[in-house]
Order: sequence, then structure tokens, then C-alpha cells
Amino acid sequence: MLREENTDSGDLIQGTLEMLVLKALQRGPQHGYAVAEWIHQTSQQLLKVEEGALYPALHRLELRGLLQAKWGASENNRRAKFYELTAEGKRKLNAESQRWARLSAAVAFVMQAS
Amino acid sequence: MAPVLHEFLGRLKSLFHKRSMDREMVEELELHQSLLREKLLRQGVPPSQVDRTVQRTFGRTERWHERLRELWQFRGIENLARDIRFSFRLLRKSPGFTAVAILTLALGVGANTSVFSLINALLFRPLAVPHADQLAVLGYGQGGSDPQYDFSTPYFRSLESRRNLFANVFAYVGDTMQVKSSAANENVPGQLVSGEFFTALETPPLLGRYLTPEDDQRGGSPTGFAVVISESFWNTWFQRTPDVIGRKLIIANVPFTVVGVMPQKFVGADPTQRPEIFAPLSADPIIDAPHNHIDDGLHAWWINVVARLNPGDTIEHANAALLAVSNPILEETADTPEALLDKEHFRFTAESGSRGFTYARFIFRKPLIAMFAMCIGILVLACINLASLLMARSAARERELAARLAIGATRMRLVQQLLVESALIAVLGTLAGLAAVPFINHALATLQISDHNGNDHVQLNASPDLRLFAFTALIAVVTTMLIGLLPALQATSGDLNQQIKGGQHTAKPRGAGKLLPRVLMSFEVALALVLVVGAGLLAPSLVRLFRSGLGFDPQHLVNISFRMDKQPLTDDALMRVYQQIGEDLSHQPGVESSSFEFIVPVSGLGWNGRYLTPGSKPQILMMNAVGPQYFQTMRIPMFQGREFTWSDTKASGMKMILNQSAAKLLYPGRNPIGMQVIDGHDKTAYEVVAVVGDTKYRDLRRPAPPAAYVPLMQGNEEKPSFSAVVRVHGPQAPLAAAARALAARYAPTIPAPLMTPVDDVIANSLFAERMMAWLSVFFAGCALLVTAIGLYGTLAYSTARRTSEIGIRMALGAQRAGVVRLVFRENAVVAIIGCAAGLVTAVLASRALASFLYETSPHDPWILIGSIGALTVIASAASLLPAIRAARIEPITAIRCE
Repeated sequence: MLREENTDSGDLIQGTLEMLVLKALQRGPQHGYAVAEWIHQTSQQLLKVEEGALYPALHRLELRGLLQAKWGASENNRRAKFYELTAEGKRKLNAESQRWARLSAAVAFVMQAS
Repeated sequence: MAPVLHEFLGRLKSLFHKRSMDREMVEELELHQSLLREKLLRQGVPPSQVDRTVQRTFGRTERWHERLRELWQFRGIENLARDIRFSFRLLRKSPGFTAVAILTLALGVGANTSVFSLINALLFRPLAVPHADQLAVLGYGQGGSDPQYDFSTPYFRSLESRRNLFANVFAYVGDTMQVKSSAANENVPGQLVSGEFFTALETPPLLGRYLTPEDDQRGGSPTGFAVVISESFWNTWFQRTPDVIGRKLIIANVPFTVVGVMPQKFVGADPTQRPEIFAPLSADPIIDAPHNHIDDGLHAWWINVVARLNPGDTIEHANAALLAVSNPILEETADTPEALLDKEHFRFTAESGSRGFTYARFIFRKPLIAMFAMCIGILVLACINLASLLMARSAARERELAARLAIGATRMRLVQQLLVESALIAVLGTLAGLAAVPFINHALATLQISDHNGNDHVQLNASPDLRLFAFTALIAVVTTMLIGLLPALQATSGDLNQQIKGGQHTAKPRGAGKLLPRVLMSFEVALALVLVVGAGLLAPSLVRLFRSGLGFDPQHLVNISFRMDKQPLTDDALMRVYQQIGEDLSHQPGVESSSFEFIVPVSGLGWNGRYLTPGSKPQILMMNAVGPQYFQTMRIPMFQGREFTWSDTKASGMKMILNQSAAKLLYPGRNPIGMQVIDGHDKTAYEVVAVVGDTKYRDLRRPAPPAAYVPLMQGNEEKPSFSAVVRVHGPQAPLAAAARALAARYAPTIPAPLMTPVDDVIANSLFAERMMAWLSVFFAGCALLVTAIGLYGTLAYSTARRTSEIGIRMALGAQRAGVVRLVFRENAVVAIIGCAAGLVTAVLASRALASFLYETSPHDPWILIGSIGALTVIASAASLLPAIRAARIEPITAIRCE
């Protein structure tokens, strides 16, 4: 699962992982390792994607038609499976980011209340 | 594309690219691992620890694969495939059980499908014409009672002339036509049809045109008489020549012009007839000469009437419209005041005619439904039997199932596997049953289905259609559910731990778990008893019918019918021909004696008249005209007097022979020989010359009526057709050839005479009874066998599970006889409860059979006792075997097994 590093507040929900994967692929096709790295770096090392959750998530998204996969050469010229957003995937990412923005704002309001 | 659909397609694809997908997953994960390894090295982790760290974050690769693969799988389907393979292995391991299961099911399914295909053909299948749902069968009656369907010509023509009632209305009647071939006349089945017959049935002709109202005129259309022929007649008679249109056919010595050919699938409005020639109704006086049903007016009730409703019209509306015209038609057709007697309640009726009209439906509906009930009974029996056996077997597998539950299988999965197992049996059984259907149907087809009116053979189109497939599918599904669900649920319920601890060898208290199989077996015994009682009632009744004093001896007796109505000779000249034929027949090898008769006994045909003695009131006597040596040939006892001779002509004075009942009726307590009997109609006086024994007349099921015989030489008809009766020993085929040769010599223009053994006439008239009796005996035998297998099988399984218990009992001093009793008692209880329940059901259900029984009470105590006896013997035999085997258990080995 997706875990927040160094806390024990538990796993984030699965839908969030899928949203992050979609977001990671917004910049263009990536292979699985790069997706995990990007999320780790971008979250300031706060989020760590476990491999055991990442690949099932990628395959699930591919199966549902949100991603499509192509085999290509990686940076050091090895065969790698690159994932890419489909039109459907882009739409889903849009909807998810809006939903997330609303949700996090709402949670923030509640938590900031005195 | 919708995600669900995408998912489905993806999984479908993965089914076929399993290998390459597996390879890709491995590659993808390997890349990730090596990138991770490089990163760790860059971060300065010592190489010796890198592999361990990677391993820790990654876990075991096999589990990874499994998880990813699962994502791409149809989990249901692949589990199913596994279950099927597993079930196959299990079934192969116990071939005896599998064979019994499949055979009993095949029997049930085969019987049901066959009888249903008959029911479907006769009762459900719509006519093969366009828009059959708009057809209506017309009848008439006195309101409440069942309508009559045989119309007279005036009724029909009056309906036909009211153009606004229906789109079309037509009449038809089946008729045998004498068609002249190069050699002689031949009998060809045909139909007389009214003008709008073809218009209403909307089937275009294959060639030429069909008959129209212009053809249906007295004397034919201006161009002469026209006929339409069937495709098969076109094939056999005209070798499919395309210039058949315009050719002449000589029917009843009159030329008819062929104007059209109808396609094979068209059979008219009666689905059980296969007419080869359609002729106009108005040609009846020619084709049926010397009879004339048209001029007979209200005295000939001879045609059936069907209508096509106006577009958008309903049966209710048609009935209302018919009610309005009923009385006007009655008034305009009435020729005597009596015809108007019941005017107030008289009305014409319409009912749905999408399936056409046939009298066979009235005759065969009840026997077919009774047979169907028997078939359902045998199928339910087979299912219950299998359910019980499976339940007993899965009880023996408790430990295996418990172990599987314990290592994580869900109850759902186990139920699914057990269901698959029973579904496999059900499917194999159904397939085997379906494979047998063509053979059963073939056997049914060779049975001559005849209606009670004699020679018309009922033709049924029993070819499979959608309805039959739906029925079979339904049977397969219901069978699977019945067989599988109960044992599966039963086997996987209950306390797991206890089952594992207890295992196979522990004696368990009798609880609710043991109740269900016993209830099922009792039900099975009850059902078997009902079937056996049914057979016990029907079979002796049939034997009684065959043996019941016919009054004559049907063995070695044949009828040869001669149709003389269309040949040129008349009166005395014709009689001389009959005499010649009779004499030559009696000199054929093996012939003991021969004679002639007008009415063939028990063929369904009859003729009666009112006769009186001077100074008394008239009595109804059944009549027959017979030749010399008739009573000797038929072996009808002659109590007094003499046979007719060829010299008993009109000129020598009218003679008559009475049977015993008629003699008692007309001359009670007196000797009738030499006395007079007077025809109540034309006052002719007859002299009684003999008294003979009573015989069955029209119907085998009825007692012999008072009857009188007159010499055939004294008849009034110009060209009477008689049947020769011949008592012949040895092969009958040469006699048929001889009869054809004789007919060709003395009356070259008549159709080849038809020879029928009298045994066949009797068997034909008892078709329904015979069929039911045979089937019921067969099914009862099967029921007994299946029940025996079930009782044996369940007891054998449950006894096997009690091996160690019995061993302990014996070690503690139980006698072998005691062990036999112990085991035997289990089934005895089941059998007794089943018999009691079955007896009650049988007594209630046998009332439905009453109308098929002849001189047999549906509650005959001997039959009930006998049936229970048969079942008891079978059940005891089936239970004794496991009991004796249990008694042979060696206590030491049994206990050591633990």
C-alpha cells in the first residue's frame, strides 16, 4: 500500500494511490520504477509507494483502459514497459484532482476549526 | 470504451496470450529490481547487503506473479475449468456409480423428451402457414355443452356467404380418392376443400395456381374440374416434371386438371393428415359416388370449418358476430320443423385455430398427459435417487471436504465444486438421454397411431423445434439443481472441527443430518409404489380387453377389403365376382375358410336399424351384411339354424340371423327360428334362419350389443364394397399377392385390395391403452430397479462409515444376526414409511386412471397388495446385501483401522 513515511497513521486509501499514479504519468510515459521514484521525490520523501501495491495498481489501470502500455528502451537502454495516460485516463485524472482538492480543503476547514 | 467492457476484453485477450504475458511480467519486475539494486549501490549500501534489502522490499517473486496474474484472470471460469477436471477424475474413479447415475438420468430425460415431442406435435405446434394466429376453428352447440365440429354443407355455405364475418372461411374433409394409374385405380389420400381454403391459409403454390371459389362450383369451373397436388405426389406420380400443370388426373373415373403444386411443408388445416390431392368440395358427388354429402344437406355432418379473422379482429369479437348470425342461419337452412327445436340456445362458436384442427387431439390428449405424468414421475425418481446417492457419497467424503475447508477453501467454493460434479452427471445423463430420443421416436413411429375411426393413420410432425429445445434445457437445469444443490449444501454444513476430529470412523449420534436422506428415500419408495400400482392397474386391464370375449377368434384371421364402388359391374354381376373371388381365396394354400362382411367388427364403423316383431315396439339392432360360411370362418358359435348361402338372394325371400342378445330381446323365452322380424323403416319382413353367439361390435370396450346379420346378396346398394375375412394358417404374404392377382383378374379397375390381420385391427383400436400399458410396465420396472439401486447404494455407503462401530459392537458380543438386523432396520423404516405414503397417493391418483381401465377397479385390493409385495421384495433384497456384508466384518480388523 501507499504509506506515509515514518508515521503510523496507517495506509492511505487505494483510490489515492491510483490518483497519484495517474498524476505521475501526466508528464508523459514512464515505467513503473520511475513512477515510484517520482512520487517519492515529489512528496519530499514523505510518501513511499510499495512495489507490492504499485504494480497491481498499474495493471489494474491498464486493464480498465485508463493507461496503455508500450515496450520501449529505458534511460540505460534496457527494455522497459512504459505506461501512458489514455484519453479516458486524462479525464479520470482531472476528475480525481478536483475531487481531491475539494476533499482536502474540506478536511482542512474542519481541522483548523478552533 | 466503458471500463467494464475494456476489462472484459483485456481478460479475454490474456486467456490466449498467457505465456507471453507471464514473460512480460517477469521482465517488468526484473527491471524494477535491477534499477532498485543500482540505486542502493549508488547510495553506498555494501553489495553483500544489496540482495537482502531488495529481497526484503520485494518479497517472493512467485507471489507477485500470482497477484498480477489473478488481476488478469476470469477467476470464475478458471476455477470452473479446474472443478470440471477434478470432477471428471472423481467420476472416473467410481465407474459403477457414474454408469448408474448417467443411465437412470438418460432414461428419465429420454422418456420425457420423447413424450413431450409427441405432446408438442399434437397439442402445441402451430400450423406451418403464415399468420396462423389469425385462424379460428368454428363449431356450434347449445351454449354450455362442448361444441360440435362436424358441419353440414348448408351451415357452412350460409357462413361462407356472409362476407363481413371473417376475412375468409373454409371447409375441408379428408377423403380417399381413387386415381387411375396405368395399371388400375389406386387409393390416394386427399382432401376436399372449399373455395377459400388456399386463400385463407396464405401459402403460395410451388407451381401454377391454387384453387379458388370459381373452382368450387357444382360441375367445376367453366374449364372443368381442377385439382391441386402435393409436392410428394408430384414427385412420385409425375417424376417432378415441370409441365405437370394442365395434365389430367382420372379421379373416380372423371378427368380432373392439375392446376397447381403445393410445397412439401403445406399439409392443410389438419396437422395430422398428409393429403396428396386437394379437390374442390363441390366435386364430392363425383369423388364419393355413389354417396352425395352435398345433397344430403342437414343429414350429412361431414366437414370441418376454419376461418381467418378479419385483420385486427379478436376471437371474442368473432364470437359475438357469430352469435348474431346463429339464429338467422338456423332458420334459412332448416328443412323440417325439427331442425328449429333448440333454436333458442343454438349458436356458432369460434376458438383459436393457430394449431389447426384435428380429432386426434380429443382422443390422445388424455393418454398423452397421463404418459407425461408417468415420465415426470420417473425423472423425479431418478433425480431423488441420484441426490440420495450423492448425499451418501459426500457423507463418505466428509473428511476430505473438512480438510479443504480447514486449509482455506470457502464454503461457496466447495458448494460450487460439488455442484459442478452433479452438473457434470446431469449434463452427461441429459446428453445420453437426448442421444436416445431419435431411437425412441423411431420406435414410437413404428407403432401405428390410428384414431378410433379405423384406418386413418395419424401423422405427427415430431421434429425438434424451439419449444422442444427449451423444454430439454429446462429439464437439464432443473435436474442439475435437484441432484446437486441438496447434497452440496448438506455436505458443507455442520461443524468443521468436529468433522475433522471425528473423521470417518466415529459413530455419530443420529441427528438432523441423517433425516434428509431418509425423507428423500422414503419419497422415492412412495413414488415407485405409485408407478408400480399404475402399471398393475393398466396392464391387467389391457390383457382383459384383449381376452374379453370378442365373440370371435381373431387369431389367424385376416381382412381383405375390396373397393368396388367405382368399377362398372353392378348387382348380380358384381355378386358373381365376389363369389368367384371368395371361392378362389378359399383354395389358396393354408386357407381354412373364407367369407365376406360389410362392417369389420371393432373397427369403429357401424350400421344400425330399428326392428320389431309383429305386435311389439321397435328395438335398435346393430347390423351387418355377411356372406356364406361367415360364422364358421369367424368361429362364432351357431346355436341353431344354418349359415347363409349364395342362393339367399332377394328373390328367395329375405333372411336374417340374430345373435343371442337380439333373439332374447325380440323373442324372449321363445324359439325365433322361422319367425319374422320386421324392418321398422320400410316394413320389409325377414325370416330368422339362425341364432349365433354375441360378438363385440363397434368398440372393444363396450359389451356385445344385440345384432342381426343379413345375407350380403340381399343388399340394396348397386356397388357395395365388402371385406373378405379369411382364416389362414402359415405365412400371410402369399395370400396378399393372391388377393391382388384375383382383383386384377375379376375387377381390373379397382384399387389393389388392402390386407389387414384382424389382430392389427384390434391392436389399432386399442392404441392408447396399449401404449399406456407398455410404458407403465416399463416405467414400473425401471422404478423398481432404480429404487433398489438407491436403497442399496445409500445403505452401503452409510454402513461403510459404521465399520468400526459395528466392529466394536461385535467385539462387545453382538451376534452376527443382530448386526444384520441393525443394518436392515435402517432401510426397513424408510421402506415402510415410503409404502404408506405411496399407498395413500396411489389410491388418490388412480382415480385419474379410471377412464383407461376396463373391468378393473382403480382400488383393486389385490393389485395394491401385490404392488406393495413387489416393492417389499425388491427393497429387502437391496437392503439385505449391505446388511450381510456388515455382519461379515471382522471386529479385530475394523477396530485396528482406527
